[in-house]
Amino acid sequence: MPIIETKNLSYTYPSASRPSIQDISIKVEKGEFVLITGPSGCGKTTLCRTFNGLIPHFYQGELKGEITVAGKNAAKQPTMEMAKHVGMVFQNPENQLFALSVEKDVAFGLENLGFDRKEMRERVNWALKLTGIYDLRERSPHEMSGGQQQRVAIAAVLAMQPEIIVLDEPTSFLDPLSAEKIFEVIYDLNQKLGLTVVLVEHRLDLTAKYANHIIIMDEGKICFDGKPREVLSKQETRLIGVGIPKATLLYEMLKKEGAKLGNTTPLCSKELADMVQEALK
Amino acid sequence: MSVFDGLKFRKVYSPIHNLDPRMKFIYVIIIFAVAIIFNTIIPLLTLFLMQVPFVMLARVQKQWLRSLRGAMFLASFIFFINIATNFFTQGYTLNAKNIEDAATMTTRFLVLVESFSVFFLTTSPDHLGLALEQTKVPYEFSFAFTTAVRFVPVLAEEAQTIMDAQKARGLELEKGNFLKRIRNYVPVLIPLIVSAIRRSLELAEAMEARAWGATKKRTNLYALKFNKGDYVLLALTTGVLIVAVYTVLYVPVPTIRALLGVP
Ligand SMILES: Nc1ncnc2c1ncn2[C@@H]1O[C@H](COP(=O)(O)OP(=O)(O)OP(=O)(O)O)[C@@H](O)[C@H]1O
Ligand SMILES: [Mg+2]
Repeated sequence: MPIIETKNLSYTYPSASRPSIQDISIKVEKGEFVLITGPSGCGKTTLCRTFNGLIPHFYQGELKGEITVAGKNAAKQPTMEMAKHVGMVFQNPENQLFALSVEKDVAFGLENLGFDRKEMRERVNWALKLTGIYDLRERSPHEMSGGQQQRVAIAAVLAMQPEIIVLDEPTSFLDPLSAEKIFEVIYDLNQKLGLTVVLVEHRLDLTAKYANHIIIMDEGKICFDGKPREVLSKQETRLIGVGIPKATLLYEMLKKEGAKLGNTTPLCSKELADMVQEALK
Repeated sequence: MSVFDGLKFRKVYSPIHNLDPRMKFIYVIIIFAVAIIFNTIIPLLTLFLMQVPFVMLARVQKQWLRSLRGAMFLASFIFFINIATNFFTQGYTLNAKNIEDAATMTTRFLVLVESFSVFFLTTSPDHLGLALEQTKVPYEFSFAFTTAVRFVPVLAEEAQTIMDAQKARGLELEKGNFLKRIRNYVPVLIPLIVSAIRRSLELAEAMEARAWGATKKRTNLYALKFNKGDYVLLALTTGVLIVAVYTVLYVPVPTIRALLGVP
């Protein structure tokens, strides 16, 4: 059974005249690393908000269709119930940390769920170590860099041990190197813990290599849904505002010029480099 | 910003910082009570000096002096108002009694400022929020308190950015008379309020996503506990209270003017 499944999901914000997402039917399997991408305003954030019930509970408006997340009807369950299964990391690291120390922030969700102190302490330390911020645990979040803050936000979600972690452009305020480090942390969690990851991201250059499922949206609809290599080699994707990895584009150009490269579309420069090296042998 | 300097918390670790904030609060209340029951300057001065070792132990002398300096304006105001009222109500004479009474009032004020600033200088906002939580204040209040503390620097920074941006577009903040100057701040306030609202919506969303309100019985990562130091402070403050009450009831405290033999 898929861990996230939507059927003909459509949603209109209360103040909007037309739906922000339309007829979305997707399936995400347990343990997948899903990448959602598409031009600005195509409804990625809106879709993510349906996964933990922020839509329709927090945003109201009209939600049609079916949505099942972790075996639960996310449209019916309140967000605080869904929060045990779906962790959500938002774009702006600053506005999702409220406590005056890192460890207190990481404990916030567990405190809300009423965990006893001993188990809470264990989980907090575990999450801090996984995200590499154990040494910063007594610092105050607002005197940390954006990358560190985003790690705190991830740790805070992990401490609740959800089955799914949804990250909505978690690195758009960060420089490429810090972003890369965050993605590595996320990928590691996906590999080690079997955590299902849903990542919204524009910069496919940095992220396509981690994904095993990619969803491309445009104007509130799903345009492509499948394996990254297959989806990204489709010419139609070039017409939507999607940042196809440079390695993939270069590969196509070389191929068109008649270079004798392999047939698997590369997703990052390292893969392409390996292919070129192979060809030059 | 400098106005709040005396009340700003810096991370220092000392025996005083580690005390239970609830105990420190009891201490402030008792000092308040004692300062109010005395009407003569000598006990009030004693009370003032008695707290100095406390400040030294907490190693916050610098900030403490700064907050006292900040209170100086108000203190001298109190002093002169007292002298003036005595002067006008008691037959236009200025005598030693008037001056000593005014000094007593001022010292009392300084004692209050002193104990307050010791409390705020040695209690982290985190601790304070925790104390609120564990004294059965609804969690919403203590959360609002810590969040406010957390976001004050953020908003201050944002206000600065908006001010710079509006100045770059030709807004002149320091021009015109008083009313005009207030009106000049409208283009700064509106974006600030809009962004604060947006920020609070994002915060609310993030709180929801982390199971805010999932159980009635919320737990806490930290626990406040009375330790040895807290019992010592409790004993000390109780001692001070007993001595103070005894003195007020049975010991005639001389005034300085009596000691000096001035009428
Ligand atoms: N709170 C809201 N109220 C009303 N309309 C909204 C709200 N949030 C988003 N929308 C609208 O819904 C549509 C989809 O927005 P959404 O934020 O989901 O896009 P996105 O794909 O996340 O874009 P971006 O890449 O810029 O983050 C947009 O047309 C937007 O104007
Ligand atoms: Mg978005």
